[in-house]
Amino acid sequence: MLFEIFDPKAAPRPVGIDLGTTNSLVAYVKNDKPFAISNCDGEVLLPSVVAYDDDEIVVGTVAKKHAFERPSDTIVSVKRFVGRGADDAETRRLGPYHFVAPAPGEPNVVRFRVGGGRVVNPVEVSAEILRELKSRAEDELGRVGGVVITVPAYFDDAQRQATKDAGRLAGLDVLRLLNEPTAAALAYGLDKNSSGHFAVYDLGGGTFDITTLLLDDGVFQVKSTGGDSALGGDDMDRALAEDMLCALGWMEAEKARPHSLTPHPRLSPAVVRLVLDKAREVKHALTSRDAVEVQVPLSTGGEQHLTVTRGRFEELIAPLLERTGVACRRALRDAGLEASQLDGVILVGGSTRVPAVRAYVERIFGRAPLADIDAEQVVAYGAAIQADLLAGSGPRQDVLLLDVLPLSLGIEVGGGVVDKILPRNTTIPVGARGSYTTQEDNQTGFEIHVVQGERELVGDCRSLARFTLKGIPPMPAGIARLEVGFRVDADGLLSVHAKEATTGLEQTVAVKPSYGLDDAAVEQMLLEALDHGEDDLRARRVAEGRVEAGRIALATDKALAADFDLLEAGERDAIMGALGELRAAASGSDPSRITAKIDTLDAATQAFAGRRMNRAIARAISGKRVDDLSRDVAGAKGVEAHLEEHRR
Amino acid sequence: MDPFATLGLPRRYALDLAVAEKAHRELSRALHPDRYAQAGASERRDALSRAVAVNEAFRTVRDPVSRAEALMTLLGIAVGDGHEPKADPAFLMDMLEQREALAEARASRNAVAIADLRDALRATELGAQAELAAGFDSGRAAELVGKLGELRFYRRFIDEAQAILDDLSDCASTA
Repeated sequence: MLFEIFDPKAAPRPVGIDLGTTNSLVAYVKNDKPFAISNCDGEVLLPSVVAYDDDEIVVGTVAKKHAFERPSDTIVSVKRFVGRGADDAETRRLGPYHFVAPAPGEPNVVRFRVGGGRVVNPVEVSAEILRELKSRAEDELGRVGGVVITVPAYFDDAQRQATKDAGRLAGLDVLRLLNEPTAAALAYGLDKNSSGHFAVYDLGGGTFDITTLLLDDGVFQVKSTGGDSALGGDDMDRALAEDMLCALGWMEAEKARPHSLTPHPRLSPAVVRLVLDKAREVKHALTSRDAVEVQVPLSTGGEQHLTVTRGRFEELIAPLLERTGVACRRALRDAGLEASQLDGVILVGGSTRVPAVRAYVERIFGRAPLADIDAEQVVAYGAAIQADLLAGSGPRQDVLLLDVLPLSLGIEVGGGVVDKILPRNTTIPVGARGSYTTQEDNQTGFEIHVVQGERELVGDCRSLARFTLKGIPPMPAGIARLEVGFRVDADGLLSVHAKEATTGLEQTVAVKPSYGLDDAAVEQMLLEALDHGEDDLRARRVAEGRVEAGRIALATDKALAADFDLLEAGERDAIMGALGELRAAASGSDPSRITAKIDTLDAATQAFAGRRMNRAIARAISGKRVDDLSRDVAGAKGVEAHLEEHRR
Repeated sequence: MDPFATLGLPRRYALDLAVAEKAHRELSRALHPDRYAQAGASERRDALSRAVAVNEAFRTVRDPVSRAEALMTLLGIAVGDGHEPKADPAFLMDMLEQREALAEARASRNAVAIADLRDALRATELGAQAELAAGFDSGRAAELVGKLGELRFYRRFIDEAQAILDDLSDCASTA
């Protein structure tokens, strides 16, 4: 098995994955163009459905068929539960699942009870979908290298972390999490070679994003983003299903609260699943027709007929569209733009096929939206392009994506009030600092509660994590000065580090995610997912080590060739020595040896890397691009001549 | 940390935003983590730190208030809580009146009046910025601390007025 996966003849290929609420797909770049990878039946879209039967797990179209027979064992739209707490509102909506509450001390995540007596969480379910896509890509490409996975721009830290964890669990080398609207803009922008201000309206199965961005000279700079990570086609289906259930007399509106529906006691998970599916079919049919007749089979035999008109459907989804409109107007305001200043509006996501959605977008922005790249595939195309760029293999090295933080980050201060440390729409990666002191004499620990959201009270924002600083030297209250640094990386993920300023001691920071799995839980899942536990884990570590080693060796070679003049006496020999040792270690099968040699090479190149970066900065400030410079050099003497000189 | 040096910009209050934007963009091109996806761990960390510094610097110089604060800090003038003199009573009186007018306009949901108040303060804010620019250029930075305080007031007022207008227009469009 190992032998086959690491066939040295097949170079690993970067791929992009759109992990969608309803459908998922994988794409890659060939000859500068993105292509979606289909399965053996020619299907590109993999339904994001995972069925847990008594002894097997099936994913996709086959799993969809199980949904009616085993509604509670078949997880549909798992993305809506990713990164959410066990008590999330999403778990109380109309649906066929059996949820399991976490035991005391267990991470606060959604858990489903499924077939075979198993209990699974959304990270594990998502990992099954990713595994299926991985194997699809391997069938086509031989080996899969670095992966870019897309997430809704409006996903918060917990949802992003959970997506990354799922990738790791599926055995993928996740290079980057990319925001879906940005991915779509990348695919459009490069395809059409456009520039100017664009808005991306992305209404998927379960999430809504609106992003405005400026395309200029290869840079895709996101100006603002907004949305709702629980609003999409599923909600249209649910609204329609509830309306159908009411019409059938299986659900009733409460007299006191007409918008609150009470399911009939005899409404079984199977009927709920069936009606939700029927509602989706009706929605699709209404795209081209004005009225649709539905037959709903009865458990008592026979069937009941029902007619749904397009007018009724549009009435039902109007409030959902209004919610997207509020977010659109806010995104324009945040970007300092009027709708009339936009150069284009891009439609993304399967739900934008609904005619009422298109009409609504046109009304909001005052122009007909662009939809000439398949709205269900464009995000995967963008992800594939980004993966190709990150792998350094693409020719478009001047393309750059500058994304933003979708929700403000804050910390809890006295009285349950939020102190905002980073406002929404700040370009990432970004950092912020705060200074704190102890409240009691000899206090050695300190807790920082980080929240995400726009409201002023902690209770109205989403709790991200509690970071506990430990090992503060004993001092009287108010003397210790804790300098806390927050950092959001290019994936939109938060990390915290802290230092006690009077002693200069670095503090260890223990993270307790509010809605997510800690590192230990992820490790444990990783171990359980493998058939032979420790042995498989070791094999995987070797595999990961080799990929990493190959990547760094290649990057080092390139760096040596590009900036050989920055090497100091003896440095080249030290680096070459470390490189040789790493290559030797990578051909062996001891994972810790590979890691150790990676560290050695890292240390040997650190100073050189710093000098290279200084050079890159100097060039950027003087306004010269590397590609211009290399042309200059090539013109003067020829790069090859330089290299040749150096080799001698 | 000198945000002007980080971006390779002259240390001045009068700033050409287009030049600052270009500097930010070119530095991002050179330092963004995407550029170092293939690099070793310490190089990735180094690039990330520098990219963060570039973004922070741009955030600082772009904003008229934080740009003034950064310049003063670099000149050794203490700013922030406890370091700045109390505001001029006449100025405070004037701001109080403006706030009352804003509260009234809000209560009567008068969007036009709110926009007028906002625009008037915007003009005043621009005037204050011009004074700051002239003062910094002529080496009178130490005398500008009070003006900086006023600029903060204007900014907060304009932001509040804008937030009220946004709420009003959101309510109107969903009603």
